[in-house]
Amino acid sequence: MTTPTAPEDRYALCVQNVSLGYGEKMILENINFCVEHRQIVTVLGGSGCGKTTLMKGLVGLLEPAKGRFEVYGKDISALGQGGSFDWVRKRTGVLFQSGALIGSLTLAENVALPIREFSNVPGDMVEEIVGLKLAMVRLGGYGGYYPAELSGGMKKRAGLARALALDPNILFCDEPTGGLDPIIAAQIDNLLLELNHLLAITMVVITHDLPTIMAISDRSIMLDADARGIIASGAPQQMENSSDPRVYDFFHRQAPRARL
Amino acid sequence: MERGSPFETGTSSEGELLVSFKAPITFENAAEIWEGANNLIAQNSNGSFVLDLSRVTRMDSAGVAFLRLFQRLCRRRGVRFRIQSAPPSIERFLDFFERDEPAQGPPSPPKGSPVARLGAFLVGRAAELQEFADFCRSFFSVAARALRRPGRFRWRESLYYLQLAGADAMTILFLITLLLGVVMAFQAAIQLKQFGANIFVADLVSLALARELAPVFTAMLLAGRSSSFFAAEIGSMKVGEELDALAVMGFNLTEFITLPKVLALMIVAPLLTMWANFAGIIGAIGVCGVSLDITPYAFLHEVFTAVTFGDIAGGLLKAEVFATLIALVGCFRGFQTTMGADSVGRQTTAAVVSGLFLIIFSDAILTVLFYLLGW
Repeated sequence: MTTPTAPEDRYALCVQNVSLGYGEKMILENINFCVEHRQIVTVLGGSGCGKTTLMKGLVGLLEPAKGRFEVYGKDISALGQGGSFDWVRKRTGVLFQSGALIGSLTLAENVALPIREFSNVPGDMVEEIVGLKLAMVRLGGYGGYYPAELSGGMKKRAGLARALALDPNILFCDEPTGGLDPIIAAQIDNLLLELNHLLAITMVVITHDLPTIMAISDRSIMLDADARGIIASGAPQQMENSSDPRVYDFFHRQAPRARL
Repeated sequence: MERGSPFETGTSSEGELLVSFKAPITFENAAEIWEGANNLIAQNSNGSFVLDLSRVTRMDSAGVAFLRLFQRLCRRRGVRFRIQSAPPSIERFLDFFERDEPAQGPPSPPKGSPVARLGAFLVGRAAELQEFADFCRSFFSVAARALRRPGRFRWRESLYYLQLAGADAMTILFLITLLLGVVMAFQAAIQLKQFGANIFVADLVSLALARELAPVFTAMLLAGRSSSFFAAEIGSMKVGEELDALAVMGFNLTEFITLPKVLALMIVAPLLTMWANFAGIIGAIGVCGVSLDITPYAFLHEVFTAVTFGDIAGGLLKAEVFATLIALVGCFRGFQTTMGADSVGRQTTAAVVSGLFLIIFSDAILTVLFYLLGW
């Protein structure tokens, strides 16, 4: 690993002038933002504003039409599969919206998957690490269960355990509390905060769950479908009182008056 | 210790074996540390250990796992063990995992003895057979009701499946049965040539096709193409809660989902069987023309003498029975899908396997029945 120089020293992740879309249709254009080490940044916006598209770009599933995604100063779209890509893969974890557990594997096998692939720790140590990760998300003892046997919230927590399997420096979460009851959602919020404080994990969290946004964000970025980009950025407590009606309405769960 | 080892050993003030780590304990070196620690315990099985973590600047989950495994190994071997001088950051890290220790979920489902599993398997299959019988009964009662009120029937849906299971399958079925005709004619020609009975190749091929092979091959193709399609489609609908949505809207799922599919297969099966007969005979005519000097006219004349209306009708009746069974089993397996992507795959496989079994099983019964009835 090379010694990092500015601005990588300060930022874990930088999105530089990125345009993303599917085929000819651009969903996001000229996006710019950076995430500092240990920061939790939430990406907000209404349905269809490109949150999930941005997430796909950030984790390397969608190549930007323009611009670059930098993780620790490395352009991930230029890495390709193999050596350097693995370097980034080991340092990033991804929690998908529905957990995205492999249905044919038990929870323990799901969590063990990246550990076996990307490290050379012996079998009994893999089992021990899997036990730690499952206990961390309060699923100790469920290792032998298949995803189909679990509830939605449990699947999401198991997905989090798998995302954290290799102790990533950066965690990407897509709707970590979407579709969960308020108590489980609050537990996930607390868990993310603890992971951020204790394990110094930088997080990019895609969400439109207001309590989660207020509870965990150091900074929020708001996207808009019509603007095809970022319309506001800052601490959510400040954005709440924004003069921009689009931002204000979002934070106050208000339908735009013009349409009523 | 050897050069480059991640820890040094010495003796503590209390005479214990002091293991002092020099570097972070992480995924990168955990395997090496664990191997070294195992050797240390093996060499000092009567001593007591002190792990000095004062120089450990960083630790990840692999480090925590190592400490836990080491502690457990010491306990098993009766070796005393303690940790000293962990920096506050490492201590906080260890505490974070320690706190989660007691979490214990319910035990995994019991696996049972082989005999119990065999018993459970057989009981499961018997229950499945019962369920399939119930499914068929409910289908026929719904079909009878639909016959009385044909206006309610979803014809457009059936047309879609007719195209999918029938028209779209014609090319591949033609190719398969053409080659089947070629192979049969060749095999028969080799034997019959010895007796100068070349012309009987036509009898053999056409009778075998009409009574047995055309319906069976058509049904197998339908099981592989259409029954699997039905199972996967219904399974995905179940996973996506579409079936629940239809049920709460008051639709009868058998009428809405199963009936158009089964009806489509019942319509296409005899047509495809005739198509297969035609293709097989074309293949055989080709072989006879090339290697046995039998003209197409002579071949067809022989075919029309040998094959009776009863032979063709028997084959078509078989095709009808096969098609009904494989369409029903495809839909049945689709409805059996539980949550999860693997379940759709499992049921699709089960649909094809059950379909093939039902084809052969019902073929055996029908063949014996036709024999007894003198058809």
